[in-house]
Amino acid sequence: MDDTTRDELLRLFESKLKRAAKLYLETCSRCGVCVSACHVYASMPQAKYIAAYRAEIVRRIYKRYFTKKGRFWKSLGESKELSELALSELYEAAYSCTGCRRCMVFCPFGIDTQLIMSIAKLLLIGAHAEPEILSLLADTSVAKGESLEIFREGFLESIKTLENEVVERWRVEAGQTPIPVDQKGADLLYVALAGAHSIVPAAVVFNAAKENWTLSFFEAVNFGAFVGDPVKTRQILDRIVNEARRLGVKEVVICECGTAFRVMKSMAKNEPFKVSSITEVHARYIREGRIKLRKNTLEGTVTYHDPCQLARNGGVMDEPRFILRALTDDFAEMSPDPVMNWCCGGGGGLVAMGEDTLDFRMKSASVKADQVKKTGAKILATACENCHTQLSNLNDHYQMGVDVRFLSSMVADALE
Amino acid sequence: MSDDIKADKVMDLKGLPCPMPVVKISKGIKEVAVGQVVEAVTSDPGALADFPAWAKTSGNEIMKTEQEGKITRFFIRRVK
Ligand code: SF4
Ligand code: SF4
Repeated sequence: MDDTTRDELLRLFESKLKRAAKLYLETCSRCGVCVSACHVYASMPQAKYIAAYRAEIVRRIYKRYFTKKGRFWKSLGESKELSELALSELYEAAYSCTGCRRCMVFCPFGIDTQLIMSIAKLLLIGAHAEPEILSLLADTSVAKGESLEIFREGFLESIKTLENEVVERWRVEAGQTPIPVDQKGADLLYVALAGAHSIVPAAVVFNAAKENWTLSFFEAVNFGAFVGDPVKTRQILDRIVNEARRLGVKEVVICECGTAFRVMKSMAKNEPFKVSSITEVHARYIREGRIKLRKNTLEGTVTYHDPCQLARNGGVMDEPRFILRALTDDFAEMSPDPVMNWCCGGGGGLVAMGEDTLDFRMKSASVKADQVKKTGAKILATACENCHTQLSNLNDHYQMGVDVRFLSSMVADALE
Repeated sequence: MSDDIKADKVMDLKGLPCPMPVVKISKGIKEVAVGQVVEAVTSDPGALADFPAWAKTSGNEIMKTEQEGKITRFFIRRVK
């Protein structure tokens, strides 16, 4: 690695050295408590998959370049040169971590390995060594924000084709648009994903609850966050923030996409609108009597997978359970404490990397498959597209014999 | 199939979860030679927005878009 590249990477590293990051980099006591916390290690017990081991690669580079001891006595203090070899180790560490933060719950110091891995991801971007597809997806999202006029008409036309499906399931008042888009004065902006499955059931429930809502032009998912690029994360987020401000909505509701929810919730704190997940909104409608659900129409036991970014990292744990109890008397938890639920193994951009990561995703999540099987459930509900894809892959691979369902569409199907 | 454009490869990307349509087209376009055409068939409303933005970002050319009910066909020429 030439000096110019190294200097540039160290500048990127430094940009991440806020108080929390420094604390995490300086604190690990190597107590080993996190060893069994990571689903990757629990499924494939190799030292490189221990949370503290992954972090150690970043930590040693930090010690070498950002502490006095490391700078003066390069061979001392367990420091590590930033080299091509170090980059490949950083890649392996960062892209075998789903950012689920289960290790953080176990660590006595609350060390956030996901945050340390975000430094690794930024260095990989700086060295043009990140997964190409993740950057392409992020760039595509940014380009969408810059060229609404190119797709506006086509998008509106395509949304129109879904309206019949919505009305078939919940009749709207005469003159009311089944899927409103770009409505100034709406109370709520719903941000979906590209697929009809992310739009139709949500629209049905909004209409049933008589919500004054409008659909976003943009997709919720933030690929900038997956690839660990703070600039693109902000740009992708700002498309929606600006749309929400322009329409003057009071609430932005994120579809079943855990990362999109966590990013919006944490980065749009000072905006004039509230940020909610669709799961929270559905629970609210039930609680307020705005929708009524038919109970016990589902066959067999239902269990629920907590998407890490929605539950552990987003705090939405009670609402899905409240919804499920309104749907069935036969609900089985897969973990005694939702905070400790195993990650599905698909986060951190791994699912978005498609078939390239499939083998690793299956092997590294065998503990999740075992956990689901133990519940004896026939229906596996979740509230995240990424988790849904990964759980469906696990279902095929481990022959779990479950029906993987989106919680939001279960709500739409059970409307009275 | 469009009357005037002949596709060298057809990809069925209907009903795939996010972000698979874009992931698959990114791979698929590399499987034809520069100058050849991929016909991508999608059913997701978001694809209408994603594909033009993807083409712009990846430097490929959408020669034609056909919308017929829920189905959209993109004829994409590999440029580089
Ligand atoms: S964040 Fe999750 S995947 Fe990453 S090291 Fe911690 S437990 Fe493992
Ligand atoms: S639990 Fe925390 S302090 Fe202990 S080894 Fe893991 S990261 Fe370090």
